[in-house]
Amino acid sequence: MNNTNPILLVEDNELNRDMLIRRLNRAGFEVISAGNGQQALNLMLSDKPSVVLMDMTLPVLDGWTACRMAREDERISHIPIIALTAHALEADRLNALAAGCDDFATKPVDFPGLLIKIEKLTRA
Amino acid sequence: MTTSISQATDAWSVQLLQTSAQLRALLSTQLADLPEQATEDFAKVFEAADRLETMLGDATQKDNTHDLMNVLAAIRGYAEMLREDIGAQSPALDTALSQLLAAVHAADTAEVVATADSATDDRVIPSEPGFILAVDDLQENRELVARNLSRIGHFVITAASGEEALLALEQSDVDVVLLDLLMPGMDGREVLRRIKEHPDWRATPVIVISGSQDMDGIIECIEAGADDYLFKPFNPVILQARIKAGIERKRWHDKEQQYRQQLERNEKFIRATFGRYLSDEIVTDILERPEGLELGGDLRRVTIMMSDIRGFTTLSERLAPAQVVTMLNRYLGAMTDIIMAHQGTIDEFIGDAILAVFGAPQHRDDDADRAVTCALAMQTAMAAVNALNEAEGLPALKTGIALNTGDVIAGNIGSERRSKYGFVGHPMNVTSRIEDLTAGGEILISDSTLHSLQGEFQVGESQELNVKGIDESIVVHQIKGGIT
Repeated sequence: MNNTNPILLVEDNELNRDMLIRRLNRAGFEVISAGNGQQALNLMLSDKPSVVLMDMTLPVLDGWTACRMAREDERISHIPIIALTAHALEADRLNALAAGCDDFATKPVDFPGLLIKIEKLTRA
Repeated sequence: MTTSISQATDAWSVQLLQTSAQLRALLSTQLADLPEQATEDFAKVFEAADRLETMLGDATQKDNTHDLMNVLAAIRGYAEMLREDIGAQSPALDTALSQLLAAVHAADTAEVVATADSATDDRVIPSEPGFILAVDDLQENRELVARNLSRIGHFVITAASGEEALLALEQSDVDVVLLDLLMPGMDGREVLRRIKEHPDWRATPVIVISGSQDMDGIIECIEAGADDYLFKPFNPVILQARIKAGIERKRWHDKEQQYRQQLERNEKFIRATFGRYLSDEIVTDILERPEGLELGGDLRRVTIMMSDIRGFTTLSERLAPAQVVTMLNRYLGAMTDIIMAHQGTIDEFIGDAILAVFGAPQHRDDDADRAVTCALAMQTAMAAVNALNEAEGLPALKTGIALNTGDVIAGNIGSERRSKYGFVGHPMNVTSRIEDLTAGGEILISDSTLHSLQGEFQVGESQELNVKGIDESIVVHQIKGGIT
């Protein structure tokens, strides 16, 4: 947890967003959040988060597109992205990886598992 | 994809709502002992459970896997935090929370089964990725389309109104527009009209989406330039197929456009580069005949003109270089205009000498006549050129003009690396020899040119010349003036 850059959480469902912010804060992370893909890209550019947790179904600009755009912009292409997808929708996960996400976590999120994924991606 | 949660809903939803109700009842007895944070977290759990109940009761929301998952995720997250925080101090609440978590887990698992059952039509139409603009005033429709298209590789941007759509079009290079017809404010028809009127957007394929089976509306839109249509609710595979077709159409258009721009650039470049020296006819000939730039040429009967300023070399030695250039440009400029006006083809300038041809690339019956008329006009124009020279203290110039008619090879002559539209043949040499003999202000034409003339000209003295390098002798005639 020595990384000074915050985690960016992109989630349009406020219940779920508030919950994840709480849990991540409790785990010692600073968290910034965005409610859509466009805001997410803006925050990636301005705040250079250490990792992005991104829901895929988002208003304005969805997660897959945002991820692809992030991968095409060399200023932010290095920032790891973990896709948050529904457990049931395997195609969504595969497409998230195809769009350039580094890993995925299924909802409802297994929090300890998520922390391991964050740790793994931010350590590198 | 339709995820019919409803099929498998009963068992887990009943369990989940029941455990939630039990938890609520249990909590009401212990509320006072809880830390403030835990009270807040419980409130969140129940908020999520209430939302879940509403969703399950609402037929339109039942199949919304995404929202459902978010609610389950919130319940799980808060419940897990609560167990961490108060599980140890309240075993009863801990048990109730773990039952709730088990119900969430059951829901999650049930949903996997339900999805696996219904995922039969999950075909994906492979397509080149495109930039899609989805316009719909309803958020759930936008998200549905965005999700459907972006998960298979497209870039999707959405607009919630006609105004937003136009803004998005201005800001991005959109490949296909997916346009809902019924929107408050600027509706789909108006957006379509503006797209098809806009010079840069006109070629962007528009797929209109109609909520009802409104055939008349669709026909109207297709007449207004829409490329395709879909009725709601649409099959995602059909949507993908139409999008694919739209992207391909756009790509073809872009390629064609690029190709046309390249051609225009080339043509502009060629015209700009050669137009200064060559007649429009040659440039057009090169550009428009597919074989125009191939090496080789045709045998043509042409009238060749050569003109030269008498004593220019000696003259130029006495003047400053800038003055020589001014004088030369003025002279060549005036002569070029006259030659072009007589449809002559300027082959090249050699210092102060002009080599022009009448009859190539375009043959005309009066080639010789125009050449002679042109020569007379050039001599006449010298008065004006000299008036300007004298006004600047520059010497007066006198030019001699020779004309000769004969068969030459006209075409692109040279090597692959360097070629020019030019003329080759014995008559070129003969013209040059005649030119050597002309005096300032004089026009000499060969016998062959004289015989090619259709009109009457004032012909002066004739003489027979023996010129070096040419075995036969040539008869040349002085031209005094035009038809009297």
